[in-house]
Amino acid sequence: MRHSHLTFALAALALAGCKQPAKVQVQQTIEETPQMASEVSMGDSKAEPQLAGGFYNIEGGAWRWTARRFTVVLRVPPGSAQRGATLEFNFTIPGVVIEKEKNVALSAAIDGTPLPPETYTLAGPFTYKRDLPTSLLSGESVKIEFSLDKAMPPAGAERRELGVVANSVALHAK
Amino acid sequence: MALCLCVHWLDFRAWFRADDFAWFGLAPGVHSFHELARALFSPRAQGTIRPLSERAFFLAGYYLFGLHSLPYRMVIFGTQFADLALILAIGRRIGGSRAAGFWAAVFFTLNTSTAQPLGWACVYNEVLCAFFLLLALYALARQSEAADRRTLRRFRMLEWGAFLAGFGALELNAVYPALAAGYALLCARKGLRRTLPMFAVSAVYAAVHMAVAPVPRTGPYAMHWGISILRTLGTYWTWTVGPVYGRLVPRLADWMLPAGIAALSLALAWFAARKVRAAQAAGVVFCALWYLVTFAPLLPLRDHMAEYYPYIPAIGICWLGGWAFAEAWAAPRWTPRVLATAAAAVYAILMVPQLEASQRWNYALTERARSLVEGLAGAHQRHPGQTILLYGVDRDLFWNAVRDRPFRLLGMANVYLAEGTERSGGGQDWGDARDFILPGGVAAEAARRGQLAVYDVRGPRLRNITSQFAALPHDARLPERIEMGDRLTGYLLGPEWPKLEGDHRWMPRRASLRMAAPSSAGRSLYLRGNCTEEQLREGPLTLTVTVNGMPLPAVPIAATSFEAAVPLPAAVIGQAEMRVLLEVNRTFWPPGENRGLGLAFGTIALR
Repeated sequence: MRHSHLTFALAALALAGCKQPAKVQVQQTIEETPQMASEVSMGDSKAEPQLAGGFYNIEGGAWRWTARRFTVVLRVPPGSAQRGATLEFNFTIPGVVIEKEKNVALSAAIDGTPLPPETYTLAGPFTYKRDLPTSLLSGESVKIEFSLDKAMPPAGAERRELGVVANSVALHAK
Repeated sequence: MALCLCVHWLDFRAWFRADDFAWFGLAPGVHSFHELARALFSPRAQGTIRPLSERAFFLAGYYLFGLHSLPYRMVIFGTQFADLALILAIGRRIGGSRAAGFWAAVFFTLNTSTAQPLGWACVYNEVLCAFFLLLALYALARQSEAADRRTLRRFRMLEWGAFLAGFGALELNAVYPALAAGYALLCARKGLRRTLPMFAVSAVYAAVHMAVAPVPRTGPYAMHWGISILRTLGTYWTWTVGPVYGRLVPRLADWMLPAGIAALSLALAWFAARKVRAAQAAGVVFCALWYLVTFAPLLPLRDHMAEYYPYIPAIGICWLGGWAFAEAWAAPRWTPRVLATAAAAVYAILMVPQLEASQRWNYALTERARSLVEGLAGAHQRHPGQTILLYGVDRDLFWNAVRDRPFRLLGMANVYLAEGTERSGGGQDWGDARDFILPGGVAAEAARRGQLAVYDVRGPRLRNITSQFAALPHDARLPERIEMGDRLTGYLLGPEWPKLEGDHRWMPRRASLRMAAPSSAGRSLYLRGNCTEEQLREGPLTLTVTVNGMPLPAVPIAATSFEAAVPLPAAVIGQAEMRVLLEVNRTFWPPGENRGLGLAFGTIALR
């Protein structure tokens, strides 16, 4: 009996004397902060914070469905405050959208200033391209709000409102 | 045991997730014996009191090992090995051969209901409860075999010890007297009388438990006494002899699941009927009794069917299956051997793929939780003075690694989610995620002041995106909710508020703040806070609230802890902001303070 008491006391001492490990392992974080980009490829998940609304998850590693309204924030490229820039939005209108809607009009606004809209009557890949005056490019970044006049409402198992398929959007300095 | 470790290898390697962190969260609040007693015995989580399997397991584990999962897994699997040994020992007595017990343990190891109890630490209560039930039953069986009074007394004490300890594992332990009486009646009638006092203990336990933690009348844990009980039992039967949730490997045709379950059910029924005809009904009846009695308390939970609920009841069916398989192979002819092997193969085909899928799902979730929690530890180490905002959290990550606030274990009071997080994933259930959302305006202000570090959680490691986040346009509206203990919302408070004190702020006689105005009618201003008993000695306090110059009904405060919702006038609807002025009719001067204190506020919000 005395022997077992001694064993217990030694075990308790050993337990109390053991250096306890840290409560949780520490995983190092990636601290190199990505900068805001002038060009956003829809397949780049790192640029997702710049997609401020209306874009769904990446599909096929390269593109995203949009909703009827969608917003992106882009860095103003160097020199464009003096010479102006060009907005380029590369997207695809799927056949199912044209079959159902016949035509789709796309418009955009830069920080609230509207740009001329464009109407599409065919399915396929397109580039919505607009020249931007220097007056719209004085800040470090601009918010570009796109809107479509029509979109496919949620139906059946598809619970998303679907507009067009976005591939990339960019501001290029002139 | 080797098979168990082999089949459940991913369960053995799993980390923690979801409710595990709620139990770990008890540890930082324990500093005294009184707090320890409260942590161990106060009802929590749907009124459960499980001091051994949840409270002590997580408290002691956290104290000794922190969030290093291996020791916990060793305890869980050690208990499971003991369960398997007891299943073997009792199965040998039921089936009359060692092989019957062995195959019962094998079938139980392959049952899909074992995945969660072994892979999710907070379901350890099932494994430990099974251990105490089996140990008590084993001790009862040994009493009937005892050759002398000393051995009899030893096993009787063991039975009582296991029975009483079982109440610390799971409420289900209360059914043990019914199991013991059934076993005694069928296999050892002399012991029947000795089981009667146990009914009294279970009755007292049930009465005390109901008094301390009444059964909810609404919600998923409400009990339904009707025909739904039979439907629930039917579903659980298919989850016992087939995979839980009726899932099947995609490569197999849909008809194979019902066909497999029907074949196994028929095989068991045929064996049982054969045994009854051969006057060997006792073992069969006990297996069925175990199944029904251990399921009985769960059957009224019509709206809460969990995949681990068949874990303990399935043992009864595994005894029957093990007995049938062993007997078939002991037969001199090949026909029963072939049929039994075919039935076992069907069982394995139904169970093993789902067992593996369930483990993979659980393991992946725990790894995501580990990555987030350990990444948060790294972020906190780098930015100890900053609040962390998480970007890109999806619903699974929220439920498994954010909602139960594991970051509190790292010494972080709050971790927030970026605005819009709760809307991602299209209509998924985000529960109380709104409580974690940092409004865009507050986030932008905090980022501008350097109080915020923003991390993208979508990669294998947390990525700091603070400057990218700060450059984005943010919703500049004022927040609808102000947590007074959060320094990030300090810029919305008037200069008269003193500094932050823990999770609250004391106001002087008058204090002001700014917040969002309601955009629709029917909203109230919600106020939650505290005062001292000393303040109430002269009678209730009166709090008057003025919003944009309009007085609201006075709020009487008669208790040290108060909550009030004051209806807002229609005139503030749609305004850019609300300027709220609070005034209390009496202040007090605590010793050593050079200021008069009014009320301590925790939350002020629109509701």
